[in-house]
Amino acid sequence: MSARSDAIAPPLYAAADFAVILAPALAFKFAADRGGLGDTKGMDLVIASAVLGAIHAVIAGHRLFDEEHTAHRRADIWIAAIDALAVLALAATLLPAVVLWGFAEEHASIANRGHPVVALWIGTQLVAVVLAELTGRAVFRWLEPPSAPEGGPD
Amino acid sequence: MGGGPDGPGHLRLAIRGARGPRRRDRGGVSDVSRRQFLAATGGVAGTAAAGGILAGHVWPLLTREDLIPGRAPELTLEPGSWTTAPDRLRFAAIGDNGSGGRHAMAVATQMARTYEHLPFGLVALLGDICYYGNLADRYDHVFRRPMAPLLDAGVGFELAIGNHDAGLRHSDEGIAEIEAELGLLGTPGRYYSTTHGPADFFYLDSSEPGVFGPDAPTQWEWLDDTLAAATSQWRIVCLHHPLYSSGRHGSTLGARRRLEPILRRHHVDLVLAGHDHHYERTHPVDGITYVVSGGGCKTTRVGHSTFTATATAALQFLLVDIDDDRLTGHCIGVGGATIDRFHLRAREHR
Repeated sequence: MSARSDAIAPPLYAAADFAVILAPALAFKFAADRGGLGDTKGMDLVIASAVLGAIHAVIAGHRLFDEEHTAHRRADIWIAAIDALAVLALAATLLPAVVLWGFAEEHASIANRGHPVVALWIGTQLVAVVLAELTGRAVFRWLEPPSAPEGGPD
Repeated sequence: MGGGPDGPGHLRLAIRGARGPRRRDRGGVSDVSRRQFLAATGGVAGTAAAGGILAGHVWPLLTREDLIPGRAPELTLEPGSWTTAPDRLRFAAIGDNGSGGRHAMAVATQMARTYEHLPFGLVALLGDICYYGNLADRYDHVFRRPMAPLLDAGVGFELAIGNHDAGLRHSDEGIAEIEAELGLLGTPGRYYSTTHGPADFFYLDSSEPGVFGPDAPTQWEWLDDTLAAATSQWRIVCLHHPLYSSGRHGSTLGARRRLEPILRRHHVDLVLAGHDHHYERTHPVDGITYVVSGGGCKTTRVGHSTFTATATAALQFLLVDIDDDRLTGHCIGVGGATIDRFHLRAREHR
């Protein structure tokens, strides 16, 4: 990999990470717009996901940057990163959908109390982010176990 | 970052390592290579699986369903402020509104706002009043909360059974759910007729047991007889499954084959349906105008057929004004805009 691609790849990965978190909220917004709710309906979720996505994109970018300084093999970084992104893509979309679908009754009871719906949305996406982050770090650690110190203390 | 001891050719080594002899796997390079192979394979397989699941199931769900819980309308309406003259009637019709989500609440709120200016005493429910569970559990959230302003104003609701058209065919569970709906809504039966001012309404059960079950011929005979005995100026049939639709589900051809001759024979004026989540009005077919008003909480794509006069995928409900021998229909969107307006004249022989 060239120095140029070294510089471009982490921001591209961070952008993909951001997009994956934002996409489900955009899907809901798209559905609202198509139905004629072209005002602020759905924007709360888009904003919530955008904030979470931006924060995690920075974290993911830093993770790659740190791993580039410690990794013995560049391939390990990207294998772990792709694994993390796959988990993020699935969980960030599937978890909110399953939670909203499977517990519709419970959520409806909180809908008239203001922000809990947004908090629920952020909560499910936060779980997805944590799962992805754990996956990325665990796979990287598995591929590049910390070296045992040479010689032990006497 | 300096490329590491194995350099760029390491992935080749990884694949070789996975196929290679296990005797080299004790620590060292080939053990790491096997891990790389497993992690990379897991990543590719995971990405493919995630892509398949998302594209095949989850994304259609997100873009089609109304899963985000919605805030119920908080309007207080003047009770009983609609006209009750014998030659006049204003009523609303809405289908497929049973999510309790944001879109459903937006449509219900618009219905209540419309009532403030154009009060109506009747809502014809065109089926599918409860999604994501059964009505006994979800009644408050999918019906009572969104319709509370209208219910409190004394507006009457009449239901055309439509649920359980897919997964619960002919099942005891499906029939039990239908019975529960009828009980909760105070609906007199699976199919029935009512009269309001100058119009007779005929509500059909077009669910799978209703259309294709063993009792189906009884319902069609009842419709034939009841329409023959109808005396009002207007005849309006309400059922869930559309006889004409250019939407996702399309026309319900089995029901059309059985029903259309009866409707034609008795000069029905208007047939209201839901099921497909859009608004569509046909050109008169043998003098009968067919309307799909299924945008109560979801929208799906709609095309144009030869019978289509207008069609749009929008969250909406229908408001119908009858003044003696003139009927005007307004399809109203969630912003209050009129999406479509149509006029009918009463049949000459009535």
